[in-house]
Amino acid sequence: MNTLAAPVERESVVRIRDLTMRFGHKLVHRDVDLDIFRGETLAIVGGSGSGKSTLLREMVMLQEPTSGTVELLGKEVSGISRAERLRLRRHIGVLFQNGALFGGMTVLENVGTPLREHTRLSNNLIDEISCVKLSLAGLDPEDGLLYPSQLSGGMRKRAALARAIALDPELLFLDEPTSGLDPLSADAFDDLVMELKTALGPTIVIVTHDMDSLWRVADRVVLIGDERILATGSMPELARSSDPEVMRFFQGPRGRAAQVSA
Amino acid sequence: MPATLNVEGAILRCAGDWTARSLGGLERRLVRLNLPGEGSIHLDMSGVRRMDTSGAWLLQRLVGDLERTCDSVGIKGLSTAAAGLLDLVRETNVRPGATPRPARKGLLERIARSSLGRVTHSIDLLTFIGEMTSAWIGQIFRPNRIRWREIVVTLGDAGHKALPIVGLLAFLLGVVIAYQGGVQLRQYGASIFVADLVGLSMIRELAPLLTAIIVAGRTGSAYTAQIGTMKVTEEIDALRSIGISPMGMLVLPKLFALFIALPLLTVYADIMGILGGMVMAAAQLDIAFATYIDRLEEALTLDSYLVGIGKAPVFALIIATLGCYQGFRVDGSAESVGWRTTQSVVQSIIAVIVVDAAFSVAFSYLGI
Repeated sequence: MNTLAAPVERESVVRIRDLTMRFGHKLVHRDVDLDIFRGETLAIVGGSGSGKSTLLREMVMLQEPTSGTVELLGKEVSGISRAERLRLRRHIGVLFQNGALFGGMTVLENVGTPLREHTRLSNNLIDEISCVKLSLAGLDPEDGLLYPSQLSGGMRKRAALARAIALDPELLFLDEPTSGLDPLSADAFDDLVMELKTALGPTIVIVTHDMDSLWRVADRVVLIGDERILATGSMPELARSSDPEVMRFFQGPRGRAAQVSA
Repeated sequence: MPATLNVEGAILRCAGDWTARSLGGLERRLVRLNLPGEGSIHLDMSGVRRMDTSGAWLLQRLVGDLERTCDSVGIKGLSTAAAGLLDLVRETNVRPGATPRPARKGLLERIARSSLGRVTHSIDLLTFIGEMTSAWIGQIFRPNRIRWREIVVTLGDAGHKALPIVGLLAFLLGVVIAYQGGVQLRQYGASIFVADLVGLSMIRELAPLLTAIIVAGRTGSAYTAQIGTMKVTEEIDALRSIGISPMGMLVLPKLFALFIALPLLTVYADIMGILGGMVMAAAQLDIAFATYIDRLEEALTLDSYLVGIGKAPVFALIIATLGCYQGFRVDGSAESVGWRTTQSVVQSIIAVIVVDAAFSVAFSYLGI
């Protein structure tokens, strides 16, 4: 199924086997196999409703698959104990599509929440570390006093990213990080993701349909559609692909424009 | 493996995992640690197995503290990755101990703000009532604008779906009054007057009040939560942009539906309450149903009935108005929806009881 299989000796941090997901009668995907390797930036693309977000939710243990297995950092997630699950969650950061910042807290408190919950650090140190994370996410520490409802769309994404990296996760999941941002902010956000990648070195999984992001950020791209993985490979490889399904997705006007500018 | 730091003269030997999870102990020990205050200091980081941003930040803070008093501070044995992290946190414009704090407001300012808030709140409420009234008058002149479908749906939610709970509570209230009153009346051989007691107190006071309180908790809160959530998800703005007035679409149907439903529910509560009293009177005081109903006919007048039922529409207006008004005051967050819903229920119940008391005073003044 994987048209371009990556070398086997690399360590996979996420290993998906025969994953099937069904909501009632609606089949989302069937028998999906996917490996995500340590240190890479993998993008999952596909049309709206192709089940990208569902796949992501299954990977971060928010959705139980109908059948099949998901292995995170070498541990199979179905049927592990609550303590084990909690331990795994500490190594995972998730940026939700609309930020999902807690509305009743300031941005600084939002970023500090994982630290307060999972470490025994003092409040002062947590606030300072939260400021560092905000600054890494491209926000002023002063912005930490604002409430999420007072933030612009771009700032909200950055604040949410700061919260996602609060515990320096090994695995960072970004659900449509650039959706709803203007092209300049989206570019800046892509830059930010790449900077964080070099600085903190997490494995990044991005769900997106932003063509420019794909060209700039992703090492490897997985195209899903028709309830399965249609193609896997780097952007240049997929852009050259002669598979009609792949061409339909990447050779549209937007796909070509992104390729030209990349 | 927890992070550690040992002082060996001018050398500070660090070891363990300098990660957020393992730093807690070291951070607390650090203040008590007798750190050298002068000369050249060396930090030996070769024992550190892993380091994350939090660890790098603590190291940076430590170095900053030492540099203030010591001649020079050197770091050695840092892995490349850790050195990168240290540079990263150094480059951020965050300074230790300089986290932003919300500005503390003075006492006078807080008093002023809170008073101003109350005044604007009252003005807003009056404005809302004004807008609502003008929208209502507008609909009276153009009856084809009335949204019957919404009214019918809301009527169902507020009306017949509330029958079980209103009926049960009114019945039980009737039972309780009959029991409590019956015990007293029996001592005077006046057991039969339990019909007067239950009948009058239910239809004049308790049934309207009980129904209004149930509806405020059940329907008023739902109105606030619905409108509030619609405001958070920008559905209210969407309605406006399509050219549909939220007043006409959301508020007036609710107002109208409750205006019809609450009096009807009150009649139902009257019946169930009296029924409860009747059952209790038969069980405890041996008053036959027929005797009880005969007595009831003499005790209850049309006036008492109308006094009770007449209050219901007023209560309905209060509950619907406050419920919708609080819904429109929601701003952005989920927390605010919860807070406004609480406010709507609390204020509705208080207003209903206060108005009920005002009615009692007015009726006694008028001698009804």
